[in-house]
Amino acid sequence: MTSDEALMLEFQGGSRAAFEELFARYRRPLYGFFGRRLNNPERAEDLVQETFLAVIRAASRYEPRALVRTYLYGIALNLLAAERRKFSTSSTLGQSVTEPKTDGTPEYVLWVRQAMERLDSPDREILMLREYEQLSYSDIAELLRIPVNTVRSRLFRSRLALKSYLESEAKTNRGVRASAWEPHPRRRGMQ
Amino acid sequence: MSTNRHPIEQEELMAYLDGELSADQATEALSHLELCPECQTLAADFRGVSQELLAWEVESPEVGISSELNAALGERLQKRQAAKVTSSRLENRVITSRWVWAGALAIVCVVVGLKLTLTSHNRSEDRSTAYPSMASIEQYLMPDRDAEIALARSAAPEAISSDAKILVLGWRGYETADEGKNGFVCMVERSWMSPFNSADFWNPKVRVPQCFNPAAARSILPLTFKRTEMVLAGLSKAQMIDSIKAGFDNKELPRPEPGAMCYMMSRAGYLNDALGHYVPHLMFYFPLTDKSSWGADLRDSPVTLNPQFRDGPEPITEFVIAVGKWSDGTAAPAM
Repeated sequence: MTSDEALMLEFQGGSRAAFEELFARYRRPLYGFFGRRLNNPERAEDLVQETFLAVIRAASRYEPRALVRTYLYGIALNLLAAERRKFSTSSTLGQSVTEPKTDGTPEYVLWVRQAMERLDSPDREILMLREYEQLSYSDIAELLRIPVNTVRSRLFRSRLALKSYLESEAKTNRGVRASAWEPHPRRRGMQ
Repeated sequence: MSTNRHPIEQEELMAYLDGELSADQATEALSHLELCPECQTLAADFRGVSQELLAWEVESPEVGISSELNAALGERLQKRQAAKVTSSRLENRVITSRWVWAGALAIVCVVVGLKLTLTSHNRSEDRSTAYPSMASIEQYLMPDRDAEIALARSAAPEAISSDAKILVLGWRGYETADEGKNGFVCMVERSWMSPFNSADFWNPKVRVPQCFNPAAARSILPLTFKRTEMVLAGLSKAQMIDSIKAGFDNKELPRPEPGAMCYMMSRAGYLNDALGHYVPHLMFYFPLTDKSSWGADLRDSPVTLNPQFRDGPEPITEFVIAVGKWSDGTAAPAM
């Protein structure tokens, strides 16, 4: 399988197929990135397209110093910041462009979202970049322009806080699910 | 948690679980974690939080390339093509005055010839040093889970793989994506399943779809888990070799069961830089066996000895037999 970086260089050299492959690889992860932060499926879809539009426009300037993955999320973070400025909102979740849509959302997903909303905004962003975008500590530090040690300490703090919030939600909703750690239907197995 | 009782901080333990520690630190963390119930609880808490967060999935619509994006893409590629044409015309102008420059070109040819000789020499050196150490973990992961599932299933004909258990590689090792029901296990192996002295051992491009039959899933797959676990923990090759030897000595690792085999019939795999997709084949595993017992590597014999475990710490002999079709039923090139 061709690496993302090799595809990016092929695209730089004029390959449409390379761009289409990158689009196929990242459209879903990027949609998830915007979807979780904006709670607005239409805008999430638009912003995925805008991310790739930025890739096309900046293709001639791309240098393989960073992973394409990190490069794409860097663009996505910039677009997200612009989106928030446009709608004069300061929160990553909850107070986003539109209110979260809860219709049909399973209860345990709402708990996770509510618990996330209780975290400080910078801590939440670090946690999301780690857990959902699976970026390394150094990639997160580079994207958010903070020291790696700060990433680590905030990640630690937010995970402990989240555990506590989820446990308290589980106790409150004991009738629905006995423990925050009880398997839910969508949980993935691990070796 | 007191640092007097624990040689590693809680934050370090978290960093270990995230694969963020150096090899030495990871080894220390792993050693402590195996013995400390308090840290095991904390590790379980961290894993629990990560598992809970997975509940928040975002269903992605089938987003295609929009017309605006398509137009921008067309424009960019057109410009690129125009730049190539311009460059080519300039080149042609230079060539028209070739008689004037004939003498200079002769000199250039000599220089180019020398450079090619040197490049060829350097390439053979690069082959052994292209991947000298482990790349970042994300380079070995596939961002699209569905694509990894499909690639894993492509290892065997659909009649086998559609009911097989499917594993995908995550940050903390292989995870079950589909439980399956026929006892076969399909997954995509990464470069660290190559021989330890292979130039591709850390090649992040390697993707090897395999589908193990039940006997191999019980007795060969644990080797994949073992190596993967050690790689993600940041262990050195020497540490991995020692640990595998110890695993066989203390019977933590199983010997190949009778009948253990696997399918490698995907046309989409990438075995290494030298072989690329290779050819579709089946693999059969045995405790150390002389290759002559299978007539392997003899003239016109369809059986070859796979070097995967040869001279390695795993006491396993692996034979390969090429087959004529890929898993999708299409004809394959001759081996």
